Amino acid sequence: MNTELVRLTDVTKVYQGGITGALNGVSVTVEEGEFTAIMGPSGSGKSTMLNLVAGLDRPTSGSVFVRGTDLAKEGEAGLATFRRDHIGFVFQFFNLLPNLTALENVLLPAQLKGNTAKVRAGELLDRLGIAEVADRYPARLSGGQQQRVAMARALVNKPTLLLADEPTGALDTQSGEHVMDLVAQLHREGQTVLLVTHDAKLATRHAERVISVIDGRIVDDARLESPERAPSEVIRVRGEEAAR
Amino acid sequence: MTALLVKAMADLRRRKLQAAVIFITTLLAAGTGTMTLSLLAQTRDPWQAAFDAQRGAHLRVNFDSRTAVAALAGTASHLGATAFSGPYSATAVQFQSGANKYNVTAIGRDNPGGDVSQLRITGGRWPKGSGEIALTRSFADLNHISIGERLKVLSVPDQPVLTLTGEVVDINALRADVGGVQNAWVPSSAVAALTGRGTSLYLMDYRFAGNPTSAQLQAHLHALRGALPPGGVTSTVDYIFARTVFHISTLILTGVLVAFSVFALLATAAIVANLVTGIVISGYREIGIMKAVGFTPLQVVGVFVLQVAIPAAAACVVGIPAGTVLSQPLLASNSQALGLAYEPSFSPTLDLLALAGALGIVIIAALIPAFRAGLLKPAVVIANATAPRGQSGRWLRRLADRARLPRPAVLGLGEAAARPARGVLTLLAIFLGVATVVVALGETRSFNEIYTYEAHSGSVDVVVMRSPALSDADTARLISSQPETARVVAETNANISVPGIADPVATLGFRGDSAALGYYVVGGRWFNGPGEVVAPRSLVQDAHLKIGDSFKGAVQGTPVTLRVVGEVYDFTGGPGGHLLMIDSSTIAAAAPDLAPSTYRVTLKPRSNVNAYVRRLAAAQPDLLDVQANGTGNTSFLTVIGGVLFAIAAIIALIAAAGVFNTLLLNTRERLRDTATLKALGMSPRQVVGMVASSAGFLALMGGIVAVPAGVVLYRLLFDQLSLLGGSPTPAPFYDVFAPWELVAIPLGGVMVAVAAAVIPGRWAARTNVVEVLHAE
Repeated sequence: MNTELVRLTDVTKVYQGGITGALNGVSVTVEEGEFTAIMGPSGSGKSTMLNLVAGLDRPTSGSVFVRGTDLAKEGEAGLATFRRDHIGFVFQFFNLLPNLTALENVLLPAQLKGNTAKVRAGELLDRLGIAEVADRYPARLSGGQQQRVAMARALVNKPTLLLADEPTGALDTQSGEHVMDLVAQLHREGQTVLLVTHDAKLATRHAERVISVIDGRIVDDARLESPERAPSEVIRVRGEEAAR
Repeated sequence: MTALLVKAMADLRRRKLQAAVIFITTLLAAGTGTMTLSLLAQTRDPWQAAFDAQRGAHLRVNFDSRTAVAALAGTASHLGATAFSGPYSATAVQFQSGANKYNVTAIGRDNPGGDVSQLRITGGRWPKGSGEIALTRSFADLNHISIGERLKVLSVPDQPVLTLTGEVVDINALRADVGGVQNAWVPSSAVAALTGRGTSLYLMDYRFAGNPTSAQLQAHLHALRGALPPGGVTSTVDYIFARTVFHISTLILTGVLVAFSVFALLATAAIVANLVTGIVISGYREIGIMKAVGFTPLQVVGVFVLQVAIPAAAACVVGIPAGTVLSQPLLASNSQALGLAYEPSFSPTLDLLALAGALGIVIIAALIPAFRAGLLKPAVVIANATAPRGQSGRWLRRLADRARLPRPAVLGLGEAAARPARGVLTLLAIFLGVATVVVALGETRSFNEIYTYEAHSGSVDVVVMRSPALSDADTARLISSQPETARVVAETNANISVPGIADPVATLGFRGDSAALGYYVVGGRWFNGPGEVVAPRSLVQDAHLKIGDSFKGAVQGTPVTLRVVGEVYDFTGGPGGHLLMIDSSTIAAAAPDLAPSTYRVTLKPRSNVNAYVRRLAAAQPDLLDVQANGTGNTSFLTVIGGVLFAIAAIIALIAAAGVFNTLLLNTRERLRDTATLKALGMSPRQVVGMVASSAGFLALMGGIVAVPAGVVLYRLLFDQLSLLGGSPTPAPFYDVFAPWELVAIPLGGVMVAVAAAVIPGRWAARTNVVEVLHAE
């Protein structure tokens, strides 16, 4: 029996000065071990959902629970510790620290916890095929290599939840596919993954569940491996919603 | 031009904090610079103005009382003087006011006017009757003696009482607060009644064409001596010496102030250069857009320079008048000592010079990074990122890693070195701040050490001065009879002519264990008996002597043969440092009428000094002045210390602003990195720690370099001041820092820097990750 890992209940997020909400009454749960894709067009609120789950942002109303922890009750320091312990975050634009080498970037989250994690970092770099560029600075890495470094960094603390915000958005097709294969492989090994993307093909190819978000609302929530929904149907539903 | 101004003003509104940093640092530097310029420019003015107005004497000569008055009348022609006044009959007088006793030279003079050395009456009137006296204003002020007060003369058996009728300014007299026996004036007919045995003299004042040099005056004196019997000239004071003594505190202050002002301007320049570089880097994209819409490279430069020049000009508008106002109290004290009405002086030329200097340095500092902005290519800069990339600071991170510092500290250290030029400029500001504190602390302490040394604190407990009406033998007997008396060193004042030295040299003849007074012998040894002499190095050099040489001198015209056996460190000889120290028997053999007048007494351990002073004073209340040692006036040192510390604090503040500025720039440039770190789990405390460790490291490095440099600079400056006294400074006067202080000073700098890091650190800690990363 699967365990609930993330629960959003009636979450609304309105940015300062915003007339309409980025999220409007969203309720959703994610279970441990799931590979969930949140899909939607630009400005639909999908990244906002991811930020709320990561504790990077706070909802205007509603609640966000991760591993049974109410994030609203955590202060800034508590949220930092939560992210450090339970979240691995992969950004669209990598966000590697430019003055640290690839290895130093990977080690960083572990060092913030007071650990060294050199063995773990070495294993990850090996596994992601970037061991030979460990001593290079980000400026001397290709986009694909940078994103793999960012993934290694996200995984170094063995996070409960891997969050990926458009991880292939800044990559060429081949590098993007390589990155997604890695994410899928991690999932197969038991990693819970929450992926944000606007690319329906990407979402349906790798995720087992696709949540479609438009204008801050969940318009569809499909489990792709189940008999009742096929990937093509999800794409169709998303297309219809977008056309409204 | 309009576009430039509009853009610059818009940028200023957007960068209020940076504008504030420029404003504050320029304000402090401009204020300090103006204060220094005001003091420098007016070092000579008030005195020279008073000297000219009062037809001050270029040369004042004291003659032996046995010199024929007719011979004195002809001295002006021997000297080649254009005008003279005197001879005035004079005598050494001791009087009592309240509980205190004072020694002055009472000069018989019937009016304050004349061709030379007019006396300016600043209060009351000129003394007319035999029971009246006038004192110098600086002496009366210093000792709180008021007009109308009755002063009992103790130096003659009749003990007449004189009423103070007037305060005057004698431009040739030395400042009372700096030292030296002051003059007083009585009607000429009253001098005889005040004259004790062996205390009379004649005094004459001379003026020459133009303002003669010291060498010219010495040549004139040489001619005068040749025309008079040996010992006829007992002492002289020239106007250059009087002026130097008058300005001694200003001279000491201006030397250090010039150094400090240069420090302040350099620190400001470093901060401005840093700041503009930071603005240029963070504004790459904007520079590209400016150029794309038609700004020429020079116009881009203009926008950046205006952003600095506007707050800097505003700072000058406030800082220059503030500096002028702050310099006034010191100038006012000079004017007051001269009896001149205090007229605040504002020199537009000086203010313009300060404005041009401060603005010029700030603009030059801004120009270099501004030109860099002007030369950037639009297409490149629009696409360029702002945070430093690559390996700068890596070595430092590695070192910190090896030291197993926490990760935020390691990142902070790396950040400190991420932009080497910025790091160096920040270090410069810190270096200047810490070095200034070291210099201020060192100078003040060394002054105090010298004051303590000259006062023989520690080796002498009580100082007794006798009236000529009480004999030396009786005084010595009275002191020795006190059960607490452990040691007495008696001092005889005399003047000894030395070959090669124009003026007779002030001489202290010691009786008793004079070596125990603790004079620093910087060469040779202390004298052991009659005929041996020690002197400050300047006298030894000026007389072309060396240790071991013998020379023929004269005491009151009686020849004596003396041998130099050592060099001592001493300031009591005043600027130039001409002083001899000798066994009193040498003086007594040549001039039996000269006897000790001051007695330095050391008490047995655990004696009650105050009880001793009270008992001894009560034994001869009129004829002895008994004081506990070391209770003299130290206002002179307090003023110097106060000014030095105020300016050191200003420069330290500028340095702290420099650190704050650098952290602000680093934090802004690394906003995206900080957001990423927060997303990865860096807590707010760790973010603040990262920023603080960056500041602390810079401060530590700056401090480590600045402390030894500050010590060296302080020694150099102090050496220059010591040369006024005529001897190099002995090592103990430099030994004013405890080892823990040399460690504590840079650590104090670290604490200030860490405090300066709190605002940028908290600002960074509050970075909204979503907004920053979304904006990227």
